[in-house]
Amino acid sequence: MSTEAAASTASTASTASAAAAAARVPIRPDLFVERAGAAPALVGSRDRETGQVFFPAEVMNPSTMREGTLERHEFDGAGRLVAWTVIGRGLPGFDSPYALGTIALDAGPGFIGQLHEWRGKTLRPGMRVRLAIARIKAEKDGTEIVGPKFVPVED
Amino acid sequence: MQRVFVLGAGMTTFGPQPDVEVHELARRAVWEALGSTGLPPQVFRSRPTMAFAGHAYQGPCFAQKTLMKIGLQGLPMINVENACASGSTAVIGAAAMIRAGEAELAIAFGAEKLTRPGGGFLPIVADDLESAMGRVMPAAFAMQAQLHMERHGTTREQMAMVAVKNRRHGALNPRCHFREEVTVEQVLASPSIAEPLTRLACCPVSDGAAAVVLAGEAAVRSLGLQPGVELVGHGLVSGERTPFGIVDDHSEMSIRAARLAYERAGLGPADVDLCEMHDPFTIAELIHYEDLGFCAPGEGGAYVQSGRAAIGGGGVAVSPSGGLMSKGHPLGATGVAQVAEMFWQLRGEAGARQVPGARVGLTHTVGGGVTRLEAGASAVMIFRAL
Repeated sequence: MSTEAAASTASTASTASAAAAAARVPIRPDLFVERAGAAPALVGSRDRETGQVFFPAEVMNPSTMREGTLERHEFDGAGRLVAWTVIGRGLPGFDSPYALGTIALDAGPGFIGQLHEWRGKTLRPGMRVRLAIARIKAEKDGTEIVGPKFVPVED
Repeated sequence: MQRVFVLGAGMTTFGPQPDVEVHELARRAVWEALGSTGLPPQVFRSRPTMAFAGHAYQGPCFAQKTLMKIGLQGLPMINVENACASGSTAVIGAAAMIRAGEAELAIAFGAEKLTRPGGGFLPIVADDLESAMGRVMPAAFAMQAQLHMERHGTTREQMAMVAVKNRRHGALNPRCHFREEVTVEQVLASPSIAEPLTRLACCPVSDGAAAVVLAGEAAVRSLGLQPGVELVGHGLVSGERTPFGIVDDHSEMSIRAARLAYERAGLGPADVDLCEMHDPFTIAELIHYEDLGFCAPGEGGAYVQSGRAAIGGGGVAVSPSGGLMSKGHPLGATGVAQVAEMFWQLRGEAGARQVPGARVGLTHTVGGGVTRLEAGASAVMIFRAL
């Protein structure tokens, strides 16, 4: 099975399990994959000629301005913390307080996303983070919207 | 190419306006601006006139719905959206049409109604991924602040001094949302919004409208006008792709927009007497002192601490109107209100907040959080008293 087909199967499985639970919905269907017994992965795109990685996936390469050179690319979502902040009172549906981090992903791209399991940890610039798929916010009916979050890893 | 002059300006008081519909807010600002030109309103029907309206959330055909209230319809109207820089973009668009000879006169205005019971952040744009995941604007600026503190030794007290200065200026401006002065201690002790930014380090969410009237030299000559203010240079850019969006210790797009404006004006930072700056959060103003060349990179904190950014402080008087910090930030109106302030300042009509000897002024706005771009737009304009 090709990488793409495997990913597609995993993605379908993930969607099916989410539907069964009926209370846990990905914030977007194309950002990550979860597999039982394995670490989650981010889904981006990679240029097969230059190796450049994009997250979230691009439809064409905006650096080379070429179409048709990108392929689906799964990666572990590990990286380093560049900056962070704690939002005291979030928008409706968001936990309060919650922490946001600017993340330099090892694969190349940067991303600003929520931190996970950050309480009680001493955050510092350059700190390692790993990917977790967890609650971003909750809808009024209790549905959990889940997506990529980043767990600070203490030495 | 036609030279472009500012003929008039108008602005509502910014702040909660629960009882006034947004097109009516805009009409009041436009009506004041038209009146301040000294021209009868019929002139804007009889001479080739264009209208540009900036707003972010107010729905389609905003210019048409506003201007028809005063009997201006049938002329070319362009509605502009560039988030927080919508109003500045409207002014730049209107000026470009005059410069190109497409219009003799132009009305550029902007308006927004954003206040809601209970307050809160600006609406999150669901189609932007990072926004949907909780990257509210104060959070992005809070991380800017963290980087500036870490790399340049900027302190919380220095950031708070921006709010103190702008609230002191705002106390002199009857059109501001906030008119009470604050102290460094009050800024630091107010509730945390996004660490290290406290509530008083953030501009208020406001309602309001502003308008300016522009004219080309042909109209000025044939109508026998004596405009006091000329738009001598501008730069409008959008953000480049950056890994961390707006989270950095400087604003590359503001540097680029300012460079374009200075080049076109044949002027430099040392020529600038006053600036209406984009200060939605205290840290932004410190960073933009550096971006616009008022001080060296990393020295924004020291610049505000020296007092040079205050009215009569000996440096560039920054946001004598009170800035977004005091006036409020009704997105579409914000950039136009900056130009209105420049009109009043450069004609010596700014009353208690008048910057002494104001001859050259610069306006600066940044707009729009877009995942993977630094931001949506940065607009800089330079005006000169004639």
